[in-house]
Amino acid sequence: MQSKQWAATAGAMLGVSLIAMSGAAVAQSVTLTLGSWRTEDLAVWQDKVLPAFEAAHPDINVEFAPVNTNEYNAAMQSQIEGGAGPDLITCRPFDVNNEWIGRGYFTKLDGLAGLENFDATAKAAWTVDGATYCVPVAAVLAGFYYNVDIFKELGLSVPTTAAEFTAVLQAIKDNGKYTPLAVGSAESWQLAYNGLYSIGPAYWKGEEGRLGLIDGTKKLTDADFVSAIAAFQAWKPFLPNGQEALSYSDMTQLFTLGKAAILPDGSWNINQVTSTGLNVGVFGPPAVEAGGQRYLQEMPDMAIGINAASKNQDAAKTFLSWVSGPEFQQIYVNTAPGFFAMSNQPVKYDNALAQAFADLKTGALLTPRLALDRLSAGTPPLDDETWRLLQVMMTSDTTPDAVAAELQAGLSSWYSPQSAQ
Amino acid sequence: MIRPATARRSLLIFVLPALAIYLGFAVLPLLISIFMSLFDTGKSGTGFIGLGNYIYLFTQPVVSARFWNALFNNFKYFAIHVAVEIPIGLLLAALLTGGTLSRSEGIYRTLLFIPATLSVVIVGFIWRLIINPLWGLVGFPLLGNQLTALPTISLMGVWQYVGIPMVFLYSALIAVPNDVIEAARIDGASPWRIFWGIKFPLILPQFGLIVILTFIWTFNGFDLVFALNGSAPGPNYSTDILGTFFYRTFFGSSGQVADLDLGATVATVIFTLMLCVTAAYFWLVQRRLKAHSA
Repeated sequence: MQSKQWAATAGAMLGVSLIAMSGAAVAQSVTLTLGSWRTEDLAVWQDKVLPAFEAAHPDINVEFAPVNTNEYNAAMQSQIEGGAGPDLITCRPFDVNNEWIGRGYFTKLDGLAGLENFDATAKAAWTVDGATYCVPVAAVLAGFYYNVDIFKELGLSVPTTAAEFTAVLQAIKDNGKYTPLAVGSAESWQLAYNGLYSIGPAYWKGEEGRLGLIDGTKKLTDADFVSAIAAFQAWKPFLPNGQEALSYSDMTQLFTLGKAAILPDGSWNINQVTSTGLNVGVFGPPAVEAGGQRYLQEMPDMAIGINAASKNQDAAKTFLSWVSGPEFQQIYVNTAPGFFAMSNQPVKYDNALAQAFADLKTGALLTPRLALDRLSAGTPPLDDETWRLLQVMMTSDTTPDAVAAELQAGLSSWYSPQSAQ
Repeated sequence: MIRPATARRSLLIFVLPALAIYLGFAVLPLLISIFMSLFDTGKSGTGFIGLGNYIYLFTQPVVSARFWNALFNNFKYFAIHVAVEIPIGLLLAALLTGGTLSRSEGIYRTLLFIPATLSVVIVGFIWRLIINPLWGLVGFPLLGNQLTALPTISLMGVWQYVGIPMVFLYSALIAVPNDVIEAARIDGASPWRIFWGIKFPLILPQFGLIVILTFIWTFNGFDLVFALNGSAPGPNYSTDILGTFFYRTFFGSSGQVADLDLGATVATVIFTLMLCVTAAYFWLVQRRLKAHSA
């Protein structure tokens, strides 16, 4: 009895080892795992992007392994600190990634073939002390979707200045048939990302104001910032009733049902916004005055870096070189409309609205979201405080001056270039 | 006859699987989490800092303000549950056992318990639509006002879980011996008098238990708030409770690094708080209640 069991076990073990050996003999293939927070992109990577890469590199398999967005940072940190983690890590922009770089999570990418396709500004969100650690994948833009048919019906044209913008909103409100602006305050992030950070750069002059905050030469209580916050507060009369409790998805719905004329939103929402077959156009944030400089929020959204602890450094570098090339960029931005290539290689967008969004970049000065670079690396993070205080402002009587003062107080409590003065 | 030694051995065998799971999946993670809270992870790796995280949690002005705010909100969340859910549960249980619903009792009992079996995400979604100023029945932005947001969410929780105290007290009420009640009835006691004079004192231990269970559930609360308002629940953190505060700290966000060590610290503080309150309750209250009912 016992001897029979022994024989069976030995036989099974022999079989397993034979299979393992033959597997190794057939191909010296390497499998890379790619960690990401974009669970919704599973099909994009598995069906389009990775087959294209593997066709050119049959010896390298890449496995897309997304983690729930909310848990991504914690998952990556605990895995990497524990000596594990995927070979390839999707990089958050700016402060989170700077911290990760500081902790030694990434392999330095100096000299990686293909990195020359990116300008310094494109790499800025993933660069520390002149060294780049991630290959930029995509950026998102923010602007205003508008219902072309409503604009035609009311005889309106696309506003280019702040005064025209207000006039358009007033005209829609006076007509009474449609909600002028689909904005709800229930989710505070979008008040910042789709509201203030979109129209604000025209007032604080984009990078001039943003870098001024970072080096401490400007303060949030300066007139430029206060008037930007005031311009955002001026949206209040044009929002739907009960906007205090309306969520982001409520607003997308209101717009796609044809009940609102304008939806301030990010490019990532292109698919949802056009899902009902509405005739949708897009315009950029208005200039402060006629003939004034236009600005556009271009936010570096994701990049990919190599786990310093990965055993497959060479294969990972091969993959990243491919990611930095035009083939990847072309496939990615066209299977995930609303994401825009960051390389200096020309990319064509099949989606008409995505192309229209990309065209807004022409003639505009680009700037990322105000508070994510260095200004949110302490407590309280400026970005979180901006979300909170904009929500307070939109749901109560708090003034733009009070918001600016509290933001500045929070920032100067820990950020030394601001507190030194 | 089973020898004592054999009995002890079989006892061990029967207890072992459950004990192993309990130790492995409840006690061990708890101890690791307490252990983690004594460390700090930064650019120079992970280092032991003793009670540094606790000092930071209670003294850093912004972090401690958020913590106390979440704790205070959590007490409000608990108070609303105790003040609304348990009385309604008691009322429903009393009505179910009152004898007037003889045939439909089972139907009511089932219907009232159904919400407790629904997923919190569904409950949050349904209520968000019902009170939505745009698509729903209520014009006032209940969730967008700092004064009404937390009570609104609490009442959604009450609606969902009222069946639990109801069933709990219901089973206690049907266990009240009939002869005592009959004796009271013969003495001419009114139903009101019977309930408060006989039934309620007899179910007091279970009543106390459901209060302390509600305390544990509300201080472990997270899902409903998260489903409705996310992990930075506004407006102005007015619906932030300990669960969401912990989640935000531990998991970070798109723009925030996850702080696992500080998260473990928050978890340990929550655990200690619940342990103290629960222990105090059992030592001071529940023991005396048992003496009464005997």
